[in-house]
Amino acid sequence: MGSILVIAEIQKGKVREASYELVSFARKIGGATNREVKSLVMGQGISAGAEELSKKGGGEVFAADDAALANYNLDAAFAAVQAAIAASSADVILLSNTPTGWDLAPRIAASLDAGLASDCFNVEVEGSDLVFFRRFFNGKFDSRLRPTALPLVATMQPGATAAFEGAADGKVTALSVSVGATGTKFVETKVAAAKGVDLTKADIIVSGGRSVGSPEKFQEVIKPLADALGGAMGASRPVVDAGWLPHEYQVGSSGQVVSPKLYVACGISGAIQHLVGMKASNFIIAINKDADAPIFEVANVGVVGDLFEVVPKLTEAIKTAKG
Amino acid sequence: MKIMVCIKQVPHADARLDVNGAGTWIQEENIKFEINPYDQNALEAALQLKDKDASSEVVVVSIGPERVTQSLRTALGMGADRAVHVKDAAADGSDSLGTAKILAAVAKAESPDLVFAGFMSDDGNLAATGPMLATLLGIPHTTTAVSFVKNGAVTVERELEGGALEVVELNTPCLVTTQTGMNQVRYASLKGIMAAKKKPIDVKTVADLGLAGQVGAGAAKFKIEKLYTPPKGQGAEILSGSVDEVVGKLVGKIKELGLL
Ligand SMILES: Cc1cc2nc3c(=O)[nH]c(=O)nc-3n(C[C@H](O)[C@H](O)[C@H](O)COP(=O)(O)OP(=O)(O)OC[C@H]3O[C@@H](n4cnc5c(N)ncnc54)[C@H](O)[C@@H]3O)c2cc1C
Ligand SMILES: Nc1ncnc2c1ncn2[C@@H]1O[C@H](COP(=O)(O)O)[C@@H](O)[C@H]1O
Repeated sequence: MGSILVIAEIQKGKVREASYELVSFARKIGGATNREVKSLVMGQGISAGAEELSKKGGGEVFAADDAALANYNLDAAFAAVQAAIAASSADVILLSNTPTGWDLAPRIAASLDAGLASDCFNVEVEGSDLVFFRRFFNGKFDSRLRPTALPLVATMQPGATAAFEGAADGKVTALSVSVGATGTKFVETKVAAAKGVDLTKADIIVSGGRSVGSPEKFQEVIKPLADALGGAMGASRPVVDAGWLPHEYQVGSSGQVVSPKLYVACGISGAIQHLVGMKASNFIIAINKDADAPIFEVANVGVVGDLFEVVPKLTEAIKTAKG
Repeated sequence: MKIMVCIKQVPHADARLDVNGAGTWIQEENIKFEINPYDQNALEAALQLKDKDASSEVVVVSIGPERVTQSLRTALGMGADRAVHVKDAAADGSDSLGTAKILAAVAKAESPDLVFAGFMSDDGNLAATGPMLATLLGIPHTTTAVSFVKNGAVTVERELEGGALEVVELNTPCLVTTQTGMNQVRYASLKGIMAAKKKPIDVKTVADLGLAGQVGAGAAKFKIEKLYTPPKGQGAEILSGSVDEVVGKLVGKIKELGLL
């Protein structure tokens, strides 16, 4: 039996939370299938992170400390992963479903002629098999995925399980990586400039989705409700992609993460990337014509109906109630 | 310059989806399909390069059944020059690695200078095929591009979490996966649609590509054992009644929150 290799990520010198979640999954399946848990940490000046991970469940932690890894670089990171796979004899390789995971996991899988189960929210052991659980169709359906071969690569959704908390003693092993010529070059990281609207400060947010249909409809249907409630207007990504509203209105993993007292989602399906941006709201009302829309799972109150009927009437009723 | 764009046909965003009888995929009869939204941005990025350099050739490639012809025609109508359609039941049930192997065989025959794929498919949400294809071709890749500039080398802004961007430079040939919102996708003009009728769609089988037995359901490294509607958790309290009744109840809830 091979081992399980956790590809950890360092952010601002520390092992990120999502990597400890990977450790939780790795220890769960490692315990049930007799696989040792090992980890890879890569970057420059990462010894503190590697040390911490080795004491908090990461097992033998391979530390690839190299100037070529100072910033994320596909070839350098891939070289480190290859070295760690060789050193660990891993047949299960876990990454987080993060920008690094998106870039690296399919490359690892294809290079090993292995399968990839991406963005999984769980993994269970059944007999000697690992069964992975992931969503399809933007959250509309769940699935059970069964691997037919080893090695395998999986990426796990951040937040899908609790970070590993137990104290388990491992050790740090330095891993030397030879990075040759690279096909990609890191230039810089940019942070989006702060804009006029700050949704994170709003007490009430009324958001509309793709089905609102046009910038005019946003002004005619969504904005009046936001105004009546004295709140702000928000949107899902397709709205911003289409240019109906500027980016600062976008709620979600690639937009704003908000937690107002009231969030009203109008015609938003509830894809995970939207949910992570608003599920911490104190109270959520969802209006959607599809009774099976995933948004209803995080909402407190739901209306199965046409937003073009419900929202204008709600706006009038709020105005009347406010007098 | 030759540019290859990988296009998947997926159920239309407004299609009503149900699990099929076997419980392993959706039932595909009588639903509308469209070009995967992410791939529309990929195609647009390629067409913008062709706008700048008319000598460029844009080749769109899709694996899928007969219905895919319509999406390929749309892509040709938007301005792509040629299409390759891998139409073979032997490709059905491929996992992302199988899909990438098929696309790699096509790419090897085409030798493109640039390859675009969508970041992920709107049905499978795997976000795997593009980088796998690049790996099989031995070329560099980057994912979730929200901008693309080619000036000798390729410079891409890729999306990170929380609105941050990473600027990456790539040597060519390379593969870039595109995120939605990267560009505003053009429509096929009437003239484009007429011209598309004369553009070639090259139909290929898995055997033509030398991949018999290496792709499809039998070769998949992961099998979808079951596709199902997620179990309902606590979920929302669904308000019932006429629109007026429901609105009345909503106002009551908002009052209870002390927000009116
Ligand atoms: C890396 C990455 C990052 C992303 N970041 C974000 C992000 O930050 N924010 C974000 O929102 N998305 C993000 N997405 C996109 C996300 O996956 C979804 O595609 C998106 O959230 C869907 O938006 P939507 O709900 O408006 O549209 P759809 O999913 O198309 O849903 C439309 C909904 O409207 C309903 N509907 C239709 N007509 C009506 C009507 N008349 N009345 C009531 N309901 C109606 C339908 O039943 C459906 O549920 C990201 C994706 C990726 C891959
Ligand atoms: N059947 C297919 N035909 C052509 N391209 C595909 C196919 N499946 C996936 N792709 C490409 O790979 C991208 C990512 O898909 P996926 O890995 O399935 O999420 C898509 O956006 C397409 O560009």
